[in-house]
Amino acid sequence: MRITDYKKQKPAENAKDALAKAKALQPVLNAVVTFYEDTKQQADAADAKAEGLLRGVPIALKDNVSTKDVRTTASSRILDNYVPVYDAAITEKLRDAGAIFIAKASMDELGMGGTNLNAYTGKVNNPWDVTRISGGSSGGSAALVASGVVPMAIGTDTGDSVRKPAAYCGVIGMKPTYGRISRYGIIPYASSLDHVGFFTRCVEDAAVTLQVLAGRDDRDLTSSFEPVLDYSNHLDDRIEGKRIAILDNVQNAVKDEESLKQFDTLMKSLRAKGAVIEHITLRNDLMQALLPTYSILANAEATANHSNLDGIRFGMREPGASVEEVMINSRTKGFSPAVRKRFVTGSYSLFVENQDRLFRKAQKVRRLIVQELEKALQNYDAVIACAAGSIAPHAEDTSEEKLSQTYLVAENHMLLGNFSGYPSITVPLGFVGGMPIGVSLTAKPFEEQQLLNIAAAIEKETGLADQTAEVKA
Amino acid sequence: MSFETVIGIEIHCELKTKTKMFSSAPVAFGEAANTCVNEVDLGHPGTLPAVNKKAIELAIRAATALHCEIDPVVKFDRKNYYYSDLPKGFQITQQFHPIGSGGFVEIDTDNGPKKIRVNRIHMEEDTAKQFHLSNGTMIDFNRAGTPLVEIVSEADMRSGKEAAAYVEKLRTMLYYLGVSDVRMEEGSMRCDVNISLRPYGYESYGTKTEIKNLNSISNVQKAIEFEMARQSDLLLHGQTITQETRRYDEASRGTISMRKKEGDVDYKYFPEPNIFPIRLDDAWIKSIQENLGELPQQRKVRYIQQYGLMERDADVLVAVKELSDFYDEVCKYCKEYKLIANWTITELNAALNKRNLTIQENPCDPKYLGDMINMIKKQEISGKQAKIVFEEIMNGKDPQKVVEEKGMKQMSDSSALLKIINEVLNNNPQSIEDFKNGKDRAVGFLVGQVMKASKGQANPALTNRLIQEELKKR
Repeated sequence: MRITDYKKQKPAENAKDALAKAKALQPVLNAVVTFYEDTKQQADAADAKAEGLLRGVPIALKDNVSTKDVRTTASSRILDNYVPVYDAAITEKLRDAGAIFIAKASMDELGMGGTNLNAYTGKVNNPWDVTRISGGSSGGSAALVASGVVPMAIGTDTGDSVRKPAAYCGVIGMKPTYGRISRYGIIPYASSLDHVGFFTRCVEDAAVTLQVLAGRDDRDLTSSFEPVLDYSNHLDDRIEGKRIAILDNVQNAVKDEESLKQFDTLMKSLRAKGAVIEHITLRNDLMQALLPTYSILANAEATANHSNLDGIRFGMREPGASVEEVMINSRTKGFSPAVRKRFVTGSYSLFVENQDRLFRKAQKVRRLIVQELEKALQNYDAVIACAAGSIAPHAEDTSEEKLSQTYLVAENHMLLGNFSGYPSITVPLGFVGGMPIGVSLTAKPFEEQQLLNIAAAIEKETGLADQTAEVKA
Repeated sequence: MSFETVIGIEIHCELKTKTKMFSSAPVAFGEAANTCVNEVDLGHPGTLPAVNKKAIELAIRAATALHCEIDPVVKFDRKNYYYSDLPKGFQITQQFHPIGSGGFVEIDTDNGPKKIRVNRIHMEEDTAKQFHLSNGTMIDFNRAGTPLVEIVSEADMRSGKEAAAYVEKLRTMLYYLGVSDVRMEEGSMRCDVNISLRPYGYESYGTKTEIKNLNSISNVQKAIEFEMARQSDLLLHGQTITQETRRYDEASRGTISMRKKEGDVDYKYFPEPNIFPIRLDDAWIKSIQENLGELPQQRKVRYIQQYGLMERDADVLVAVKELSDFYDEVCKYCKEYKLIANWTITELNAALNKRNLTIQENPCDPKYLGDMINMIKKQEISGKQAKIVFEEIMNGKDPQKVVEEKGMKQMSDSSALLKIINEVLNNNPQSIEDFKNGKDRAVGFLVGQVMKASKGQANPALTNRLIQEELKKR
C-alpha cells in the first residue's frame, strides 16, 4: 500500500492495523525499541488535518529522533530512560502533515554502525531472511518498511545509514542534500555528515515524504533557504537524454557476478530508453581514503557531540563518590565497547599533537574527495553504482571490519554523499539468492527532483515498486 | 634586588542581551534556579546552537572601542572538557578566529598615559553556576549559555595600580557601550590576572601564577600587590615560583593556592560543525561602529574643554555613567556647568545617600535642578535657601513653587534693601562709629542685622556692598 492508499482509509484503522502488525512482527524482526500507546488519539488529531500530505499515514521514527514525552534512546544504554522535553523539527512537521507515529525504531547505538547488531535492544533481523542482518544504522526503520508495517519510516544517514539498510532490505532509501531537512532534535552522530533520510517502498512516496520534511528551520543554522518543490507532482520517469555516469571504481570492486549482471541489464534498458550512460573513474587513492577519512572526522565530531551524555542531567546515572566519578562510571557502563572505541579514535585524532596529521588532514582529504565528485558530476545528472558489495550477510559472520576489508570501496562508496552533502538515493535493483540488492544514485546539490525522476525511471524498469517481504509472525 | 612585575589580564564579561548566546532562553540575574533554561542550555541530545545576532553586535561594539581589527567572518570552535557546570561537555568559543584582535586601551598612570595592548576579544558562552554544599553539589543552569566576551590583554601592565586602572577603564567603557552590566560582585564581569616577576632588563618572563575570583577592582590591586611581595620574597630566598592557580582571599588579604598546573590541558579545539562561518555585512558592521555613542574618554574631554570643569570633577562624573548622564541632562536647562557639577557631585550624591537610593533610582528632575541653579545665579535665592529648595526637589517639587510657598525670594532689589539698611544703621550708631574708627568687623555685624530684619531674604553679597556704600556716606 502506498501513502495515497493509506490516505483513503480511516486514520484510526491505519493506526490500529500498523501497530498490531508491528507488535506481531516484533518477536521476529526486533525492529522496535518503543511502541506508541497513544495511536488512537494521534489518529483522531490526524483526522482533522484534511490537507495533510501524510494524513492518517502510520509511520515509524528512528529512535534518535527527539519526541516529547516519548522515550528516545538512540539504542544506547545511557539513554535508556531518557524522555525528551521537546520535539525534533521533523517530529513537528510530520505531525502537522497528519502522520501517526507507531514506533520508535531500533538502530546501531548512537548511529555508530552499519549492521544494526550494536543496539541496546539487540540485533534487527532482515525481513527477507531473518538470519541475515537488516544493515544499519537505521535498521529498524528499514525492516519496518520492508515488512509492510508502515509505508514510510524516518532514518538518519551519516555514512550510508539509510541507503545501505535500504539496499539490504529491498526498499527505497533517500537522504537529500545536507541542509535540506532540519537536524534540530536529531541525536547526532557527526554533525557535518549527519543527514535526515527516510525509507519508502516506492519513489512516489519518497517524493511526498521529502516535500513534508524539507525546508529551512532557524533552529538549525546549517539548514537551507532553498525553496521546497512539489516533488510528487513533478515526478517524471522519462529517462531520455539523462546523463548518468557509472562509477567504475565501485563496479570493479563488486565481486558478485549476479549483481553485476543485473546492474548491466538495467543500464542497457535505460540506454535503450534514450539515457546517456557513460563510465567514469574517480581517483582510486581518494576512494581508498573514504573510510579512514570518515572514521577520523565522524568520530572526532562524535566524541564532542556525545560529551553531553554524562549521567548528570538526564539518562542513566551510575553512582560514584564524586561528580567526576559519576560521569566516568555512567559513561563507562552507558556505552558499548564499540562506541567507546569510536570515541577513543575520535579523541586521539583531536589531540594537539595529532590534529595536523589526522583531523586537519582528514578535513583536507574530504575537500579533495568532494572536489573530485563535483568535477565528475559536471557532465552528468547523476552517478550510479551498486549500493553494496554483497547481499545482506548473516548476522553471525558479520563484522564491520570484515565487510570493509573485503569490499573497501564497494562497501563505503556511499560516503561520497555524506562528505559532499549531495542528495543520494538507493533504489531496489533485483534479487540475488532471494535477497534484495539495490543501486545507489547521487546527484548535484538540491537536485532532489532530478534524483527522484531518475529513480522513478529505474523503478519502472525493475518493476519493484511496492514490494513487501512476507514475514511470518 | 627588586623585580619588574609583569601582568596580563583576562576579562570575561557577560553581554547585555535578552536571550542566550545560542538559544532563545532569557538571560536574567537573580531568577529562581533553573527557570531560565531550555533544552539547548541543558545540552539535551539533538539540540543545535543558533547564534544570537545581538551578541555579535555587542562584541563588535566592544572590539571597536578597544581599537581591534574586526574579523568579518564569524567562526566558532568547540573547547572540549568534562565538567558538571558544562552541559554539552564542550564550550562553544572562538579559539581560531576571534571577532577582534590587535587592539589597545589607554590608561592613565603616574607617568602619564600608557597603552595596554589587547591581544584579542572573542565570543563564547558561560557555564552553569555550582553551589557546593555539605550534602552535595547544586547546579543552577540559568547562567549556562549566557553570552560572554573574553578580552585578553598582552602582558603590558607593571603594577597593581596599572592593572586596576586597566580593569576600571574597560569596565567603564563596556558599561558606556551598553555591552555589559559589568557587575563584578555579581559575576557579570570576571577578572583573571596572570602575574610574574623578572629582574629589570630581562626580556624573558618568569614563572607566572594566575589569580582568579577577583570580585572588585580594589581586590585586583590588592591581590597583585600581595602576589608581587610573595613572589619577590620567594625569589629573594632562592626559592622558585610554582606555576599554579591562586585565588584572592578577602579575609586574610592574601592569595591562596587553588591548584597546581600540571602541564597544559588539551582542550582538543576544533571548528564547530553546526555553525557555518557567518559572513557579516560590511554595512552592518559600519553602522554599529558609527553608532558607538560617546565613550567615557570623549565625555571627559568634552567636560574639560567645553564646560571648563576641573579634571578631577570630570573624572568623578564620568566614572558613573548615570551620574554623568544626569549631569548632561541638567546642562540642557542651565549653562552654569561648574555649579551644576558641584551640585551633582556633592549635594545630589549626599541626598541620594541620605535616602539610601542608588543613582539608578535618582528621583531628582534634572530640569528642576537646572532651574534652581539658574535662580542661584540670578541671586533670586541664596545658597543657604537653595539647600532647602533642593531637599524639596528631591521630593519631586518644582523649585519655583517651593520658593513661592516658602516666601523665600531673595531680596535683590536695591531700593527695598536700602530701606532696611538705613533703618538698621539708624538703630546702630555705635557700629557706624566703630566703622569710622577702622573696625571692619562692624560691617559683618550690620549685615547680620539686615539679614535678621529681612528674615533671611536679603541677598548677602548685595547687602554687604550697599552697607559699605551707605557707611561711607555717613
